[in-house]
Amino acid sequence: MKRFTRMIYKNPEEIIFGNAKFPVSERWNIQFGAGYVVPEVKVAPQEGSEASKEKMIGECRNIAQSACQRAVSIGLPSFMLEQEHVFQQTNYPEWAGECTQIQAEILERYYDEYGISVALRQTPADIRVEERAPGLRGSDYDNKIEESMEACAANGASDLCIESMGGKSASDYGISRGDIKAVLFGIGVLGSIDMEYVWKRIVNICKKYDCRPGGDTDCAQANTAMFMAGGLLDKDIAHTTAALARAMGAARSLVAVECGAIGPLKDCGYENPIVKAISGVPIATEGKNAVCAHSDLMGNLMAATADVWSNESVYHRQEMGGTTPEVWLQATGYEAALMNTALQTGTGETLRDIYTLTDKYRDPQGLILAYDNAYRIGKAIVNYGKDPYLRARAAALEAGKIINEAVDSGKLYLTRFERDSLDNALKIIEGLPLDADQFTDECLRTYTRKVPEFDPKSYEL
Amino acid sequence: MSNIEELESKLDQNFVAIRYNVEIEGPAIKPENDSDVQNILPKEEPYKSIALAVLYGDMEASLSNVNDGLEAGLSPIDIINNGLMKGMDAVSALYTKGFYFLPDLMLSGDSMMEGVRVCEKILGHKSETKGTTVSFVAEGDPHDIGKNLVVMFLRANGYDAVDLGRDVPTSEVIKAVEEYKPIFMTGTALMTTTMTVFPKVVEELQKKGLEVPAFGCGGGSVRKDFVESFPMSVYGVEAYHTPKLADSILKDKKTWKELRKEYSKIVGEFVPEYA
Repeated sequence: MKRFTRMIYKNPEEIIFGNAKFPVSERWNIQFGAGYVVPEVKVAPQEGSEASKEKMIGECRNIAQSACQRAVSIGLPSFMLEQEHVFQQTNYPEWAGECTQIQAEILERYYDEYGISVALRQTPADIRVEERAPGLRGSDYDNKIEESMEACAANGASDLCIESMGGKSASDYGISRGDIKAVLFGIGVLGSIDMEYVWKRIVNICKKYDCRPGGDTDCAQANTAMFMAGGLLDKDIAHTTAALARAMGAARSLVAVECGAIGPLKDCGYENPIVKAISGVPIATEGKNAVCAHSDLMGNLMAATADVWSNESVYHRQEMGGTTPEVWLQATGYEAALMNTALQTGTGETLRDIYTLTDKYRDPQGLILAYDNAYRIGKAIVNYGKDPYLRARAAALEAGKIINEAVDSGKLYLTRFERDSLDNALKIIEGLPLDADQFTDECLRTYTRKVPEFDPKSYEL
Repeated sequence: MSNIEELESKLDQNFVAIRYNVEIEGPAIKPENDSDVQNILPKEEPYKSIALAVLYGDMEASLSNVNDGLEAGLSPIDIINNGLMKGMDAVSALYTKGFYFLPDLMLSGDSMMEGVRVCEKILGHKSETKGTTVSFVAEGDPHDIGKNLVVMFLRANGYDAVDLGRDVPTSEVIKAVEEYKPIFMTGTALMTTTMTVFPKVVEELQKKGLEVPAFGCGGGSVRKDFVESFPMSVYGVEAYHTPKLADSILKDKKTWKELRKEYSKIVGEFVPEYA
């Protein structure tokens, strides 16, 4: 497996929304990172739709139909529909196949009738349970994920993604206790190992069909830290800890690309700007138009590097302005139109910089993802590119350095909790072994005892 | 100077974003110097040291102090009630005031629980708790950090919190209710279509003639209107609200209907979902 040991982007100034070094084409005449931004909409099936296959298919059909209808009603040149699977869709691969098929048929009809460029992303759920034998590998759930992936690819998905959960047992323990070593072990080591297992399979499935391997997201880990960090007044996780977890998450999510994923990387991977800077693949991101799903502190900044702009997720229901597939596609669609207008008029870089500056010093989590800083973290990762542990460690150290520089220059202010958590974390990380095996052995001794759900066999350790 | 640096030089950050958490921060104080903590902490030794070790989340010191106390002939029950639990009460007070954060709470909770385990070994049985609770993650849902926090908060507040794990079939939940007769039960889910397990659990309980005083339901995609569409349930907003809800069931005999009506008052803060 190739590892990234050098940056594909040679200069942070080159990184901009709607443009990637390696654009991706999918069926129905759509390109990603090819000079324009594609809006995305994603809607969660409403409760009760899981009662039968027929109901779920009907639900997926309605979501696709509503999105297509609004897209042509407001004149969108392109859009991506993503369906993140609920448990039942992945657990019953037949459902996965038939739900994909109905959505593909609807998208194709609109493509044929209006010429609108469309894409259908299917994201089976990672339903594996680590603490239940045989763990993450080879369980019934694991096999169902593989079968669902194949069913989606065979029935019209234009790309496949997943939010894989490897390493979550250790990182959850670490995030909730401020134990940065456990976070690094969970994301940098265990997460990276599991990603390789998951993504080699997905890439092999995609090779058999007209279906692209999209990407993964560190949703289970870095997003857990971000959600728990919450707003400025929340009392759970230090925002500096969440920022370090995010930087580590980039080293981990890069593994999908190293296994053959080509993008667009999945929307809720807030680490995607770093992965784009390293690998040149197009990315989906989310921010201010994902307020229907969650709050973050970088709502504009995440648009600066987007190739696909997403709403993350929303209940399937009615708003005053229409059903949620209509309303939220309209929201992402108009934002993409703004970005595309900027690109067409030669003002893209200015808009990118304005997006960035609105959030750069709102919070340390946004600061490290500003495209110039994302580039710096990318460089730290590729310097240790061959070693998943060392590169995650380097990413965290570089993120800490970026935060400290902003504080020292009076641009970013931290609370004592954030300051102490950062100082403590950096001291611990700096003192960690420079040998991955030694670090892993130490962590195995500690966390197999402390984290009951952690199963080393799931990682072949 | 790059373009972004040039733009940045023109920008007054105060027009864009203010870090209110920094703005409102008070002076640093030692945890044991807080007035509420001083009222909670025991005055006499070794209970004071045992409580302080919990307050600082220092597991080694906590275990060492507990062992010293046991060797000196103190009753394990006294060590738990007058030392370990007092330390945890102080931690809860600081968390409520915003001086302590989740990692403080978790580490203190771990220190307290280890101390309790040592005491229970000597006792030969489980120490008395406020009551038994049952927590689970809905069938088909592997996301369990919310449930883990709920369990930690309940244990730290003196409850025997039975943790059924994640992706738990309804039949196992019913079995646990029959076995433990909990005063409070919690269910969590991240997905819209796994939260539908909650009314099914209630339906099965009713079929068997079982009841729990309240069934707290919460998690990523769980909505209040959905939770309130079936009986026995209360929509839970934050994990740290859980022990307050359990306390109100225990002390004030609040029913699930009253918990729904008085949620904000019971948890002692403004909760937008209940406004």
